[in-house]
Amino acid sequence: MDLTEQQKDALTELINIAFSRTAASLSELTGNRVELDVPEVSVHPMGELAGALGRYVQGEVATVHQIFSGPIAGDALLLLNHDGAVNLVDMLTGIDPPARRLGASSKEVLSEIGNILLNACLGIFGDLLKVRLSFTVPRLHLESLADMLESLVIGKDELHYALLIGAQFHVKSTEITGSMLIVLGIASLEHLIRAVQEWTQTSTFPAVDHERA
Amino acid sequence: MAKILVVDDSGLSRQMSGRILRESGHDVVEAQDGIAALETYFLEKPEVVFLDINMKGMNGFDVLAKLRELDPHACIVIATADIQSSTRKMAAEGGARGFVTKPFVAAEVARAVNAALEGCKEWI
Repeated sequence: MDLTEQQKDALTELINIAFSRTAASLSELTGNRVELDVPEVSVHPMGELAGALGRYVQGEVATVHQIFSGPIAGDALLLLNHDGAVNLVDMLTGIDPPARRLGASSKEVLSEIGNILLNACLGIFGDLLKVRLSFTVPRLHLESLADMLESLVIGKDELHYALLIGAQFHVKSTEITGSMLIVLGIASLEHLIRAVQEWTQTSTFPAVDHERA
Repeated sequence: MAKILVVDDSGLSRQMSGRILRESGHDVVEAQDGIAALETYFLEKPEVVFLDINMKGMNGFDVLAKLRELDPHACIVIATADIQSSTRKMAAEGGARGFVTKPFVAAEVARAVNAALEGCKEWI
């Protein structure tokens, strides 16, 4: 199961636009510049997904997980290093003295941050592809990678491959680093490829109503 | 009509922006990374460089700085999905003469490139 170079290129560019909106939202929330890597697109057998995710997930992480459904369905994940997640909540809530762990109220704040950031990404993703996506309430995971993988919806559809789209980011002048990931089952891949092809064939991009900085 | 160098690591974005610029009456040459952009700039001598930021290897800011160092008259329009205000500020401070965000809207691309062409004439 492979994507052509052209399909990979188009998907990467689409995701670059979507993830950049998330980075901009995070920059607005924190007041700091956010550096975003070029997104990577890859297809993996389900059994190898944990290993593939390992490049984005190191050490203790806080994961905000949002399931999206519609013609294209999958999992959107915002992964933050644990200290960075604590740091982010402190920055936004002005807790003094800064907390060292994530308490109940911090978890709620972090879930809402994830909600804002993941919706910024999935919103433009849906707009560009002209598909309507529905979202679940985001869930915060503070558990191992294996347990987090168990919670992915694509793991439950007995399909053999997953499309992994990811990019790492860093909030400048802070300890906050993280990754954004979208994981799709193969059931959605064909629809996604078709939608991306339609997107690439439009003579000009649509005038999407996004914030101009 | 002017010669425009489109620099983007995405073939799709080069295709999209190239089509818009050609339809606006410009000649388009392309480069897919920073090093190729520097080579093509000095070979083709474009009037405007339409430059992506988020690229592997040399990113757009590196290319902007290098081009402006080698040619202080280089006329550069930034084309990026990064809508952070800090990015716009860094582009302006780096000497870019225009800023366009992705997804591209044809009228905005044409307007930014034409405004840069007009503005850059004053430098020369």
